[in-house]
Amino acid sequence: DGVAILPAPQNLSVHSTNMKHFLMWSPVIVPGETVYYSVEYQGEYERLYLSDVWIPSSWCSLTEKTECDLTEDITATVPYSLHVRATLGSQTSAWSTLTHPFNRNSTILTPPWMDVTKDGFHLVIELEDLGPQFEFLVAYWRRESATKEHIKMVRSGGIPVHLVTMEPGAAYCVKAQAVVKAIGRHSAFSQAECIEVQEEALPL
Amino acid sequence: GLRKCLISMDTHHLEESFQEIKRAIQAKDTFQNVTILSASETLQSIKPSDVCCVTKNLLAFYVDRVFKDHRELNPHILRKISSIANSFLYMQKTLQRCQEQRRCHCRQEATNATRSVHENYDQLEVHSAAVKSLGELNVFLAWIAKNHQEISA
Repeated sequence: DGVAILPAPQNLSVHSTNMKHFLMWSPVIVPGETVYYSVEYQGEYERLYLSDVWIPSSWCSLTEKTECDLTEDITATVPYSLHVRATLGSQTSAWSTLTHPFNRNSTILTPPWMDVTKDGFHLVIELEDLGPQFEFLVAYWRRESATKEHIKMVRSGGIPVHLVTMEPGAAYCVKAQAVVKAIGRHSAFSQAECIEVQEEALPL
Repeated sequence: GLRKCLISMDTHHLEESFQEIKRAIQAKDTFQNVTILSASETLQSIKPSDVCCVTKNLLAFYVDRVFKDHRELNPHILRKISSIANSFLYMQKTLQRCQEQRRCHCRQEATNATRSVHENYDQLEVHSAAVKSLGELNVFLAWIAKNHQEISA
C-alpha cells in the first residue's frame, strides 16, 4: 500500500547559532527521482498534554532540501521533539525522530560584529542586527585607564549608537557581547577595538 | 509577592502570536455575550501580593484545561497556539522555582478570583468554553505584561 517502502531520512541533527535553528538530515537517494521531505515538531506542551499532536513546520512540507529552518516554530525555551520523513510519489517513509529533543537555550551565541567609529569627538558604535531577541552589553574605556570600564546596554543592532564624547588626544577602546534574555544567556565579548582622537585644533 | 517572582517574559512575542489568530478564534465563539476571564473584573483588583498566585493559577487553567480542550485543525493557528502553550509551560517552570522558595503564597482572594474563572468555564460546553478562553487570552496577556514589568532601576 505504498507506505514505508521508502527508507526514512538518517543522521538528523540540529545546528543552532544566534537563535537561528536548522534541522538537517542525510538525503534519501533514489536514482533518477526527486525525493521530498516533511518536518513536524512537538513542543514539551504537546508531548505532555497532547502526545498524538505533531505540528507541521512552517517552511518544510514536501521540500526538496535536506535542511529545515525551524526558527519561527521553536519559540519557547522548552524541549522540542522533531521528526522528518521522505515522500516519493505515493510512497512515504517512516518518521525519523531526532534522538534528543532540542531546546533553544543550547544555541551557540557568537561575539557580535561591531563597527566602532568617531564622529568628531563622539565615539559611535554600530552592532550586528541579530533580530528582536538580542540586546548588547557594550563596555568602553580610555586606553590609559583600562581599569575604569563603562557599561552601556544597546537594545538593538543595525543602528549607530553614541557611546561617549571623547577627550582630545585620548584613545578609547570598546568591546561588546550579545545578550538573549529569553534564554538567560550571553555570548563571549568581541575583540576590543580602539580608536584615537586627534588633539584639539589650535585656533589660528 | 510580585517583585520576588518576576517572570522576565517576552510577552510581546506572545501578544504577536495571539493577534495573528485572534480574529479566527473569536469568530468561532458562539456565545458573544458571555465571558470567562473578562467577567472577573477581579483580575483588575488583584493586589500585587496576590499576582504571583493568580498568575500561577491562570497559567494552570490554560495549560491544564483550555489548550487541551481545544483541538485545532488549521496548521497556522495550531502553530501559534503551540507557541503560546509552550511559553506558558516555561513560565510555569519559572514560577515553580519561586513557589519552592515559598514566595508565591495564595490568599483567599486570589483563590476566589481563579475559582470564578473555572466556574465560568464549567457553565459552557467544553469546546465552546475553550474557544472563548482562547479568545480572551489578550486579557490575560495584558494583565501579565502590566503586573510582571521588571522594576526599572
